[in-house]
Amino acid sequence: MGMHAKRNLNSVIFHVGACLLGLLMIYPLVWLLASSFKSNATMFHNTYSLIPEEWDIATNFKSGFEGIGGVKFITFFINSTIVTIVGMVGCVGTSLLAAYAFSRLDFKFSNFWFGCVMMTMMIPAQVMVVPQYIILKKVGLIDTRAALVLPWFFGGAFFIFLMVQFFRGIPKELDEAAAIDGCNKFQILFKILVPIVRPSIITSSIFAFYWIWQDFFQPLIFMNSTRKFTIPLALNMYLDPNSYNNYGGLFAMSVISVLPIIIFFIIFQRYLVDGIAMDGIKG
Amino acid sequence: MKLYKDNKVAYVLLAPWLIGFFGMWLIPMFISIYYSFTDFNLLNTPSFIGLANYMRAFTQDKMFYQAMKVTFSYVLILVPLRLAFALFVAMLLNKKHKCLGLYRTLYYVPSIIGGSIAVSVVWKQIFGNKGVVMSILEVFGIHQKMSLVGNPKTALWVIVLMGVWQFGSSMLIFLSALKQIPGSLYESAKVDGANGWVTFSRITIPMLTPTIFFNLILQIINGFRVFTESYVITDGGPLDSTLSYVLYLYRRAFNYFDMGYSCALAWILVAVIAVFTVVLFKTQNNWVYYETGGDE
Amino acid sequence: MKKNWKRLTAITMAGIMACTAAGCGSGSSGESQSTGAAGGTQAQTTAAGGAETTQAAAGAPSSGSGENVTIKITWWGGQGRHDYTQKLLDAYTELHPNVTFEAMPAGWDGYFEKLSTQAASGSMPDIVQMDYLYITTYAKNGSLADLQPYMDNGTIDVSNVDPNLLNTGKIDGKMVGAVLSTSALVTGYNPSVLAEANYAEPGTDWTWDDFKTMCQTVKDKTGKLGTAVGPVDDTNIFHYWVREHGESLFSEDKKSLGYKDDAICADYFDMWKELMDGGMAANPDEYAQIQTLGQEAGPVVTGDAASIFEWNNYTSKVAAVNDTLKMTTPPMLEGGSKGLWLKPGMFFSVAETSKVKDEAAAFIDWFINSEEANDIIMAERGTPVSSKIREYLVGTGTMSAQQQDMFDYVDAAAELSGSTPAPDPVGMSEVNEAFKNAAYSVFYGQATSAEAAAAFRAEADAILARNN
Repeated sequence: MGMHAKRNLNSVIFHVGACLLGLLMIYPLVWLLASSFKSNATMFHNTYSLIPEEWDIATNFKSGFEGIGGVKFITFFINSTIVTIVGMVGCVGTSLLAAYAFSRLDFKFSNFWFGCVMMTMMIPAQVMVVPQYIILKKVGLIDTRAALVLPWFFGGAFFIFLMVQFFRGIPKELDEAAAIDGCNKFQILFKILVPIVRPSIITSSIFAFYWIWQDFFQPLIFMNSTRKFTIPLALNMYLDPNSYNNYGGLFAMSVISVLPIIIFFIIFQRYLVDGIAMDGIKG
Repeated sequence: MKLYKDNKVAYVLLAPWLIGFFGMWLIPMFISIYYSFTDFNLLNTPSFIGLANYMRAFTQDKMFYQAMKVTFSYVLILVPLRLAFALFVAMLLNKKHKCLGLYRTLYYVPSIIGGSIAVSVVWKQIFGNKGVVMSILEVFGIHQKMSLVGNPKTALWVIVLMGVWQFGSSMLIFLSALKQIPGSLYESAKVDGANGWVTFSRITIPMLTPTIFFNLILQIINGFRVFTESYVITDGGPLDSTLSYVLYLYRRAFNYFDMGYSCALAWILVAVIAVFTVVLFKTQNNWVYYETGGDE
Repeated sequence: MKKNWKRLTAITMAGIMACTAAGCGSGSSGESQSTGAAGGTQAQTTAAGGAETTQAAAGAPSSGSGENVTIKITWWGGQGRHDYTQKLLDAYTELHPNVTFEAMPAGWDGYFEKLSTQAASGSMPDIVQMDYLYITTYAKNGSLADLQPYMDNGTIDVSNVDPNLLNTGKIDGKMVGAVLSTSALVTGYNPSVLAEANYAEPGTDWTWDDFKTMCQTVKDKTGKLGTAVGPVDDTNIFHYWVREHGESLFSEDKKSLGYKDDAICADYFDMWKELMDGGMAANPDEYAQIQTLGQEAGPVVTGDAASIFEWNNYTSKVAAVNDTLKMTTPPMLEGGSKGLWLKPGMFFSVAETSKVKDEAAAFIDWFINSEEANDIIMAERGTPVSSKIREYLVGTGTMSAQQQDMFDYVDAAAELSGSTPAPDPVGMSEVNEAFKNAAYSVFYGQATSAEAAAAFRAEADAILARNN
């Protein structure tokens, strides 16, 4: 009885605390949403207020969806969706392969190459963009969708390192047992290891989705044609600090652009559940 | 003599990454190293000037030291705070509760909307001179002449706080690592009558060390490369108190047309980060637990 | 294994060489049209669908006789500008079916990063919207074409443009930018705040002492800010101040500051420091907050401050939110000289590497001089430079009251203007940053105004000497 009450109390404390923290976390998003309902004229009158003085949902969303220079916003949305999905699959896939090699296989220069992986994480992208532009131009990829996807398709240092760490948490006996059963390296990877590291693959996918979706600086430099722009590039074009700005339209489209990331997260975080760990196998 | 028995398979698996590395990284890396020895201003024909750029950073450039100072402070304060907080929340969310999915989503939101205009407006408002934080301080009888974000002494803390606020991605990594700890370990501990603390310190923490190690390295690397926060919230001000290193080299490269020098700055930063990373990698044998056994 | 390594290095090095060679495409300043190094560029232009032309240099442009050409054009702006500029380009193509455009609109953020990257690889767009802050840098490096021949032969008609203004695009004897719009410094004010403080609206003959009195009165009577400006965000207001003292901000060779007496600078810092400490002007802290909200929600617009220093498009820019604001000329210095000048708003420059210079020039002429184009532009890029177009636009009756004020102001300012200063030196944005830091060290009480003025001189001289 007492035990039960204590557990209830604990649970209440947990939920109250978790909700309060949640409010703190989500406030800017709620603010963004509220702002997308406000009219341009009253947008910044009382910035705190989440309740619009003057509602202007229709105008904001309509003007936002009008897009830029004759290109409708939906085009940007489609571009982003394609680039993100292709990029994410490529990125997570190639990173998985590389991570497997680094953590499980015995090959020449493995430490050297891993050092290179780490190195790519350390360089500020700001000084790489000019040489990268020159190379992309050489191979004729400037202003192509490939320029948006390719950098991701070759795997990312972050994901390789993340999965290496997860692979290294799995006992090697598993691989050895599988090898004795006649599995080759690929079968070991896909049949034995992938199910175990699924949480990290899902985590990687969540990150990759978000990163590619909001990728800004390099695409900005590499892309020219408005109709090939992704959402972040398009949103950047709504604003000019030196003239009159349609904040309403911008905020409305910002809301639209955040939605897919949140939906993707909500769907995929469900797979971050217990029960798929190595229990059964390790015995 | 070592046997590299998996050479072929390994290189097949690595191929996509290697192609990308050569095309998108290695050649640009060499080019930017080359630029760092020139007076390249983006528009001219670069001419070789030896180590002059590097000398200039160390001997003539006050801003270089200021940016270094800001960035080191940022990393040293932020990394422990964010990791501790992320781990704490991940542990809480790893229990069996209702609405966990909702909480995870809520906590991940700040990491999603990162450096957007909405965040910059809201954040500056909250810490501004008429903001919530100031009002709360007033209630506690703390009167400030300047707002936290406008005061050179406190502005960096606002930036750090924003970093902590975006703990979602570290949390997620911890959470997925916690999910991968075999339940059987906990069960046998229970059978042995271990209490909560013992389970935490003997099972959870050791099993998490690879992830802690990962997060630590990652946060240090990203901390040194902090850009968006100081660019969006304070633009390096007031009085350069939040001028992060990368923000400085960015300005050098594109606002001041000083690409050669900027590349030199970048490579100095890479050297600093590399030192930290290598030292941490060297220490991992002492505290990181791998199922596969320590590295050679 | 060693051998492999060598080969690898060799391949990599070869790659670098090739790339850096391409990278210098735009370089080699002063060399005329030939740009021999731009081998990579030439091949790239075919991407425009083989529409490239080999126009004879002399040919009468825009005669419509021509072969098909594609002009690459880039500009920065917001949603509204992108929309009408696209319409503008379509309208031009309708008039000249042989000319099509490859538009590269962009936001302000990242515009110059992208432009310099393109320039670095020799692939600058043909027509580039250029800002005063950067034009000198591009010009000095030989990235921009000389438009003087086109102005001489009438391709670009500049007969209705103020010559002083026109010459702001002339750097080292080359006309590297055709100025599209002009702006002049104004003091914008909110009449109802002044009425509330029972203070008469300022006229064009007011002085800095009047300005201080106004700020004081507003503060005392209403508790509101007398002025809500970032006086040290850049050097524009300070430049005006220096000119009122009969000096120029930069020396003639642009290797150092132009004024000799640091007291000019120290006085400027002191004046603002006094206003800020008295709560009459927004201090850096408050100003940072003000900036967050954007123009439309600025305190002058919302009636929380009396005045601001801005450009003459100020009232028309915020008219949608508050159409009662007014403008006057900035305060005079007692016994001082005429400080105002017509500042170029933005330019169209043509890339030195462009192969469609003739057609680009013809388009620029149409942009500046045609009524049809300006019916679409509606002065959105600032006060048009052509006096004829200004008259025309006023005549159509389509201008708002604020836009008319903006036009009138240019004529009023002309009377109060001194000689036009030479174009800004290279390294301007770095000088601005140094100025801001020096001033803030005073505002934050970390240095005296004399120390800060000396520090600014040291910094600025070093920057200027390095860049010019």
